[in-house]
Formats: sequence, structure tokens, C-alpha cells
Amino acid sequence: MTNRTLNFEPDRRHFLALGMGAAAVLVLPGAVRAAGGAANIRTLAFDGDTLLIAGATLRASPDGGRSWHERPTLSPVSSIATHPARPGRLLAGLARGGVTVSDDGGTTWTARSEGLASGEVTALAVAAGNPDMLYAAIRGDGLWKSEDAGATWALAMDRPWLDAAERDPLTLASVDLETGMGGIWIYAGTEKGLTRVPDCFCRWQEVQPGNAMDALVTGDAPPAEAPLPTDEPVLSLASAPSAPSTLYAALPSGVWASQDGGVVWTQKAKGQGRAVAVHPRDENHVAALLDGTLNLSRDGGATWAALAVA
Amino acid sequence: MRRAAIIGAAIVALSAAGFAVFAQSESDEASVDGLSFLGEPVTTADIAAGQTLYAENCASCHGAKLEGQPDWRRRLDNGHMPAPPHDETGHTWHHSDRNLFIVTKKGIGAVVPGYESDMPVFEGLLTDDEIADVLSYIKSTWPDRERTFQAEVSANEGDK
Repeated sequence: MTNRTLNFEPDRRHFLALGMGAAAVLVLPGAVRAAGGAANIRTLAFDGDTLLIAGATLRASPDGGRSWHERPTLSPVSSIATHPARPGRLLAGLARGGVTVSDDGGTTWTARSEGLASGEVTALAVAAGNPDMLYAAIRGDGLWKSEDAGATWALAMDRPWLDAAERDPLTLASVDLETGMGGIWIYAGTEKGLTRVPDCFCRWQEVQPGNAMDALVTGDAPPAEAPLPTDEPVLSLASAPSAPSTLYAALPSGVWASQDGGVVWTQKAKGQGRAVAVHPRDENHVAALLDGTLNLSRDGGATWAALAVA
Repeated sequence: MRRAAIIGAAIVALSAAGFAVFAQSESDEASVDGLSFLGEPVTTADIAAGQTLYAENCASCHGAKLEGQPDWRRRLDNGHMPAPPHDETGHTWHHSDRNLFIVTKKGIGAVVPGYESDMPVFEGLLTDDEIADVLSYIKSTWPDRERTFQAEVSANEGDK
């Protein structure tokens, strides 16, 4: 911090700038003002038709963003998860550590952290095929799992090793695609890109086409791949319960989508992507936080409409 | 008379011994109920051979009782994962026969390209039959639930 900022004395130019700024706030359209309301959003989720936005606060909109209702939270929420088979059950990972569960859409909460390591819950997910199986990533620690809806927790696996170091999962998604090991995949976004682990927790690995190994053996041309940009963090992931091969990702370059479980990605929106969520019954109904504004798409990301957040 | 008795006793003894050897051979060749590897039935002799080979080649890392290395879910300083248990507390029983065979013979990198591991490649150290025996021994230790699960995984992958 410099002396100049410590001894700030407004002059005529600053007064002019302040006055113009105040006037701009009064005349800006609603969509832009929404950016202010969305500024502290860190994570998104759908609970049925209800859209949830969470960060310093938790708010819910049951009507596509026309109205918002604030819900109580114990502390800032760093991650939130739901499951289509448990309407009204919200799981919140807290920035100060711990997991809380609500079974009434966020009106009341119960701490569920027995056995869980301390530290920020950077990511939280519910197993696609088992609504009582939860996964939580703890900053600087590892991936934990609970088989009883958060009542007890056990370490599942250490963090993924990427580019010569362990990386915190910044987002998790249980993807209902078979691993060939009797289970399904858990995808993780990290500061060094996308990775995944089978839910038997044998090893973190890159996303590959399902027939990549067969092609290697037969000498055929490898399947087409178009991975996410490798020089960006993957900040948020969402797998569509209605079409598990459909994934969405939020990166600093925008919102990306894949129709094949993460092998080929296409960019759906440009801008500072921060969070993304997909409706449980419609894989084309997507919410995304982009450039600090909450946006909604009904066509898989082809077009977006900004939502005001009161 | 005495000589005839001795010869008779010897014949009985040899017959008994021969029967015992035959019975032992029959026992060794007996298939273990509900256990196969890559579609082939597993015998008690396979398991016994596998147990010996496991002790000689695998136990130093995966544990004499298949318990794995301590704290095996936490990464080592070199970034590699410790050797996991091969008993029902680990994840081995989630993998098909074919996957386990390839990983043992060719290394984990053969199924997950680029994956780095402390586990050696056993091609050249063990024959295919010996690898099959080791894995059959490991499978023989699993409870019914894990054995059934792994059989389904193998069937789904197209193992015979």
C-alpha cells in the first residue's frame, strides 16, 4: 500500500468521477445492476425448478429468477449440492469448514461433519446414483466421502496430482457414466484443468474417449478430442442428470459444454465464467455466472438471458 | 511266511501311499467352486502357487496379509500413491480380470496412459501363468460379496 492511497484527498476530478458514477448507478438497466447482486455468488445449483445462488448469502428463486428469497446459512457457502431424488435437500460446504444439510429447501440447517477434516470445503457433490453418498473436497487435504448423507465421513483419496503437484478440486461432479469398474466417475475441476477418478477411488486420471485403449491396441486412429483450455482453472462443473454425457464447465474464458462426457468441449459463452448449474430434468436449461452476472439459457448455452438478482 | 507278510504289508503301504499321492493330485486339480480367472477355472494348486509367488514378489509392498501400505490413501512424497491393499478394504476387487492382468504384466500406464507408479512391470519377471496364479490367489481371499462384484465387472468387460 502506498502513501498516496493512505493520504487520499479528493480533488475536483475525483468529485466529477464520483458524481458521474452515482448518476450511472441510477440509470443502468436491471441486467447490469444484477451484477451487483450477483457479485458475491460463488456457487449455483438447481433444487428441482428452484435456482439456488450461494456465497456470502444463500438465495433461492422458484420462478426462474423473477423473485428471490434469502435463506439462512451458518457461514459463507463455498459449494452447494442437490440431488433430483431428494427434493428440498440442500448440502452446503462451508468456507470455514464443515458441511451442513437442509431437508426443507434451506430454511433450517444441521451440521454434518463428523469425521470430516477441517478446512474449507472447496467442492461438494452427491453421487448421481445414490443420494445419500456425498463427496467433499477439503482444501489442502483430500477427497472425503460419506455414505450416510453426511452423518459420518471418511477419507476417500488424496488430491489429484497434476503438473508435478497436488491440486485442490475446485469443483466436483458425479457423472453417471460407467467406468468399467462397476461404478461411475467423479469429475474434478482444478487450477490445472479437468481430471476424474472412478468411484472405487483407484486413481485420478485424464478424461479419455471410451474406446481410446481399444484404438491403441488395434492401431486405429485415436478418437477425436477437444479438451478444455489447459492454461485455465476449471472453476465449476455440472453434469446433467437427464443426460449424463452432457457436461458444462465454467472457466475464466467462459462457459463450455460437452456432449460426450468431457472428451470434446465447445465454448458456449465468452467472459469470466465462475459457476454453472444444470436443471435436473432438462439438460438444455443452464444457469451460469458470467462476468459477475447471473445468466440463464434454455437451449444448452446457445443463447443467454441475464437475470436480475435482488 | 514272514517274508510273504512283509511283502504284503509293503504292497498295502505302497498302495496307501499311492492313493494318498493320487488323492493329493486330485485335490490339487480340483476347481475351486465359484472362482475363475479370465474364464478358466482356478484350482487349489493354482492358489497355492499364487500364494508363494505373492509372498516372493508382492508382499513387500502390498503386505503379507494383503493389507497394503500404511495410510495408502495418502500420496507419497514422490507424488505416487502407496501400494493399496488387495483385500476387501482396497479397490482391487473393482477391476476386471483383464484389467488386473494387464496392470500386473504391463504396468498401470498400460491402462491409464501417463500414470506414474512405484509398481514394477512384471513382464519378464513372471510368466503369464504365474501372474494368473497370483491374481487367483488374491481373488480367493475375497469374501463372497466382493468376489461376486468382481465377477460381474469381469463379465461386463467381456472376460470369459
